[in-house]
Amino acid sequence: MFKKALLALPVAMAVGAAAQAGEWQDPNDVLQNLLQNNPDSKYLHQSEMNIMMMPDNPALWLVEEGEDLFYAQRGPNNVSLEGCDFGKGPGELDGAYVELPRYFEDTDKVMDFEQRLVHCMKELQGFTSDDAAVGQRHGNGSDIMKLTTYIAHQSSGMAWNPPLDHPQEQAMRDAGEKLFFRRGGAMDFNCASCHGDSGKQIRASVLPQMRDGQEWTKAVSWPAHRAGHDNVRSQNHRIRGCVWQMRHAGIKHDTPVNTALISFWNDAARGEPAILPDLKR
Amino acid sequence: MLRNKTVGAGLAVLASTVLIAGCDGWMGETSGEVDITAMSADELADHLVLETDSYRFEQEAQEGGSARDRMVQDGIQAACSIEGDPDSGTAGEVIAMARESYEEPPGGPRLGNWRRGAELARSGYGYRIGHRNDDHGTREAGGNCYACHQMDPAEELYGTLGPSLAGYGATRGNDSSVVNYVHQVVSNPHQYFPCTKMPRFGRNNFLSEEQIAHVMAYLLDPDSPVNQ
Repeated sequence: MFKKALLALPVAMAVGAAAQAGEWQDPNDVLQNLLQNNPDSKYLHQSEMNIMMMPDNPALWLVEEGEDLFYAQRGPNNVSLEGCDFGKGPGELDGAYVELPRYFEDTDKVMDFEQRLVHCMKELQGFTSDDAAVGQRHGNGSDIMKLTTYIAHQSSGMAWNPPLDHPQEQAMRDAGEKLFFRRGGAMDFNCASCHGDSGKQIRASVLPQMRDGQEWTKAVSWPAHRAGHDNVRSQNHRIRGCVWQMRHAGIKHDTPVNTALISFWNDAARGEPAILPDLKR
Repeated sequence: MLRNKTVGAGLAVLASTVLIAGCDGWMGETSGEVDITAMSADELADHLVLETDSYRFEQEAQEGGSARDRMVQDGIQAACSIEGDPDSGTAGEVIAMARESYEEPPGGPRLGNWRRGAELARSGYGYRIGHRNDDHGTREAGGNCYACHQMDPAEELYGTLGPSLAGYGATRGNDSSVVNYVHQVVSNPHQYFPCTKMPRFGRNNFLSEEQIAHVMAYLLDPDSPVNQ
């Protein structure tokens, strides 16, 4: 509720962000700081248009819609998502998104954000896989993307900090690193084929370098409004698109490979502030 | 060693297929029997890819076989699943594997039609699966060369993951030694550049020999815009 009031007053929000360094920050402020700190990064500076549009990021509409959905009593069980534990306690959203994936005792496994959200929508609200509420994973009209954008926004400006205390968390992160470099498919590609060097382009797109934390935090800062798609997209959608372009086998959501990759992605951006939501080409 | 690893992984796939079929467990386990913390990171990565139902393996691949086949690594893919450049030992093994698996086209490498090569170099269509599968029956697959290389100096949209190939033939000519070399690089580049990012267009049957001849003409034909 507090955040919603700030959303209506973007000027107040920007002022507030400066007063609480290390705490929640407006996504545009996070981006501007990154740009200032990395004047030579071709990746970060590649789209003047997107940088200019950032204060009016269309993804912010989904934040508002997602908030309404989060607190609404929904599903066959007619309950809100306030009982959902994203790792910091039921309904506790501040900083939760940047501390995922993590191990959850109730399922005895490491879960990424979307997997956990779907878990709660099923277990608490009673939705099933056949319901569009959890079945539809992509697009501005989907409940999943609205909820994702709202919940992620509560971690904007906070540093990526996925926990590695539990042995399963460490195992999934380490396997994710191997997966990042695992070559396969009809073109022999791995993730590093495109994300191993700085300032390289695939056609007109400048690519982020995974070992450069300041480039990588922007690279993994999904949800983001993707201008070329005119839709807000998720980390999962980015993985799906990369895998498709790499000519690997099609990846499924809510699966261990997906979770391991995200565990490594977010670890590779550790300590860098997240831009939530971001705006990308 | 590397070959053995690949064979081992292949056997593991076969052994696990039955288990996966009747199982909706997250890790492909029957009842929490798989302890992911007991595996090395390499073992777990292979396990996750091949045995946890994370991919749409049942789909057909355009080159034949299934999507699963694409994710079972061959020797070069396994050896090159590393960060950075290979050490000299690995590089030597990769070069040897690439030479062993290289096939010269019947009658030897030749140059085709550079105009057809230009189309193939620009096209990024083909071989994508999972969703919106590319249909090679309605549209020819391309080589996607411009995604990574500059070629025609007049073309503004090109990638920089690979070296510029502008004027490639103008500086090298196109006698048989050049033609043979370029075919070896396009077909199976690890012979000269072990663990390169570049796909093995011939070895992987990504382009036909006729298509490779067209792309080679685009690179080497004196009339090609690449050499103007």
